[in-house]
Amino acid sequence: MHKQNKYTVSHAPFWHDGDTIATMNLNLILAALPAAIFGILKFGAPALGVLSLAVSSAILWELAFNFISKRDITIADYDAAAIGMLVGMMLPATAPWWIVLIGTLIAVVVGKMIYGGIGGNPFNPAVVGIAVLLVSWKQIFDFDAALLNYEFGFTALAPLAALKHQGVAAMDLFQTRDLAMGCQVGSIGTVFGAGIILGGIYLILRGYIRWEISLSYVAGILLTAFLFRLVNPDIYASPLFHLFTGYTLLGAFFLATENSSSPVNLVPMIIYGAMGGVMTILIRNIGSYPDGTVFAILLINLINPLIDRIRPKALGKGVNNA
Amino acid sequence: MAQSIAKEFTKGLWAELPPFRLVLGLCPVLAVTQSVENGIGMGLATTFVLICSNFLVSLLRNIIPAKVRIACYIVIIATFVTIVELLMQAFVYELFLKLGIFIPLIVVNCIVLGRAEAFAGKNAPHMAIADGLGMGIGFTLSLGALGAVRESLGAGTILGTPLFGPDFQPFTFMVQAPGAFVCLGLMLCLMNLIGKK
Amino acid sequence: MREMISMVVVLTVLSAFSGGLLATVRSNTQDRIENQVLKFEKAPAIKAILSDVSNDPLQDRFKLTTDGIENTFFVGKQDGKAASVAFETKGKGFEGAIGLMVGIDLETDTVIGVRVTTHSETPGVGSRAKDDPSFASQFEGQSLENGFSVKSDGGAIDAMSGATITSKGVCLAATKAQELYTKLKPEINNQITNLAN
Repeated sequence: MHKQNKYTVSHAPFWHDGDTIATMNLNLILAALPAAIFGILKFGAPALGVLSLAVSSAILWELAFNFISKRDITIADYDAAAIGMLVGMMLPATAPWWIVLIGTLIAVVVGKMIYGGIGGNPFNPAVVGIAVLLVSWKQIFDFDAALLNYEFGFTALAPLAALKHQGVAAMDLFQTRDLAMGCQVGSIGTVFGAGIILGGIYLILRGYIRWEISLSYVAGILLTAFLFRLVNPDIYASPLFHLFTGYTLLGAFFLATENSSSPVNLVPMIIYGAMGGVMTILIRNIGSYPDGTVFAILLINLINPLIDRIRPKALGKGVNNA
Repeated sequence: MAQSIAKEFTKGLWAELPPFRLVLGLCPVLAVTQSVENGIGMGLATTFVLICSNFLVSLLRNIIPAKVRIACYIVIIATFVTIVELLMQAFVYELFLKLGIFIPLIVVNCIVLGRAEAFAGKNAPHMAIADGLGMGIGFTLSLGALGAVRESLGAGTILGTPLFGPDFQPFTFMVQAPGAFVCLGLMLCLMNLIGKK
Repeated sequence: MREMISMVVVLTVLSAFSGGLLATVRSNTQDRIENQVLKFEKAPAIKAILSDVSNDPLQDRFKLTTDGIENTFFVGKQDGKAASVAFETKGKGFEGAIGLMVGIDLETDTVIGVRVTTHSETPGVGSRAKDDPSFASQFEGQSLENGFSVKSDGGAIDAMSGATITSKGVCLAATKAQELYTKLKPEINNQITNLAN
């Protein structure tokens, strides 16, 4: 039996273990650091600029909204900082300043604050921000053009865009090991797959994210990509290629697992994660966008309240002959 | 007397502003406000239908039997909508092409039927005209305002004139369907913020 | 019983009144609407096809009726002599009728050009028939002896990828134009002579 079904409660007094939302968000930022620092080292000062601007502007937007709505100041829970960090990590290092500002404005204000702040958002705020940017300014996310002036010691092509435009032949240009170690063109915080996995495992071990979601998301990706590959290997790329490119890993460990927009029970969590993985591959293989992670996560956020109704039966309910 | 006409007229401009206060008639509000021109064109067409149908319904309010009143209202409204459609085809064909299916759909706009049922069917003709005019102008201004926000951000123009320099990269999200919902939500939020004070 | 009668009478009178009003408006706007449709829907296609004519084809037009269908023919003149004729035919597309304007050289009986005028095809897929000139340009200079069909049906026209049905619809419209032209040629020549006088 799964441990979440055992609700053993003893008598008071209880002891608070000292964990707060602030420590949770600090741990989240800490877990994102390996991938982010790798991105800064690789893309240089502009990447640091984008990340700093994203974090600071996200905090300022939340502060401004607190003032306008005459609520208590909530920036001390670092939630805005974590959102800003994730938005920054999903942008290319060359993103202009106004893109960063609009992205964090939409993420924090439209994605979170208008629903009543932390815990009230139906969607992952960072994903909302990125999705709006992606729909409006597609060219910013053309990583090939964005990073044209960089010299890399490896194939300087964004893997997913190459897959979209050149077909499966593009896959030969990339070694899975190189992709995992960050030898690819992409956004600041998503190129270093191994670093994201490291951060994800840390969060799982500390209990801040649910392994069920991450694991089923990755399983959904691998399985769907495998099925596509099985049907026609001439058109569709391999599962591992999909796993280590684009926003996949960031989605699995940092985006899909966001607390208020993901389910809480075992079966819903597995459906939720797997659906995300399936949708990501479907959008990549069939849709017109190179990367489907952002839209896939919005979609599973949308079904979250629905599938969360699958829950253990409450004691004493459902007795008709009483 | 004059005071109450003024009251019926002004309530449509603020206190019962159709899309933002009553949250009525959202279909055209969301669908045709990609630009100021479309929004105002749609608003004026609706205003015409509103005034005419309000007037006629109010004039016939003692003749129309209660049991078939909705059917009668629909006949009256549909007649005026068809007239608007024909007139638009004859005189402003370009605008007619842009608004397309949404012109015939004024028939099912809840503002028009709502005002006929809630106001014109119970009040004298001059009051009904004032009510229709106020509601119509309020509706037109709302559509124009929403169109202005969406057009200026989404395409960088107002009535087709560029607002910003050549470096402006349009916020295309705003002229797409989801942008309409987000924009409408933010406008409602702003209205409530101002209304509360 | 009285209520029954009054219901029937009111609704009947109202509907009759509405019908009369609509008929009046329609008959008064019909000519204007026809001109507007010509100006905005047909004119761009005609201008694009009959590009090197010295007259205004919209003015030099006549109507012929065959099999109960009325067709409008637009005549293009060069050096004061009628050189070409353009008219519209309909083909069945993926979502409904596709209007196709076909221009024909009177001397050589070859197609000068075709343009899609009205359609309701899927934007970005079937709509390329209108927006992407490379498809329509395949018809240019083709002889009118045989009909038109896409390559998969044994014809000479490359179908647009992903929009075979639309391509077939356009070919169907072009074939209809060819049939119509062959059948009506004497009459067309007649009318053109009349027009010149």
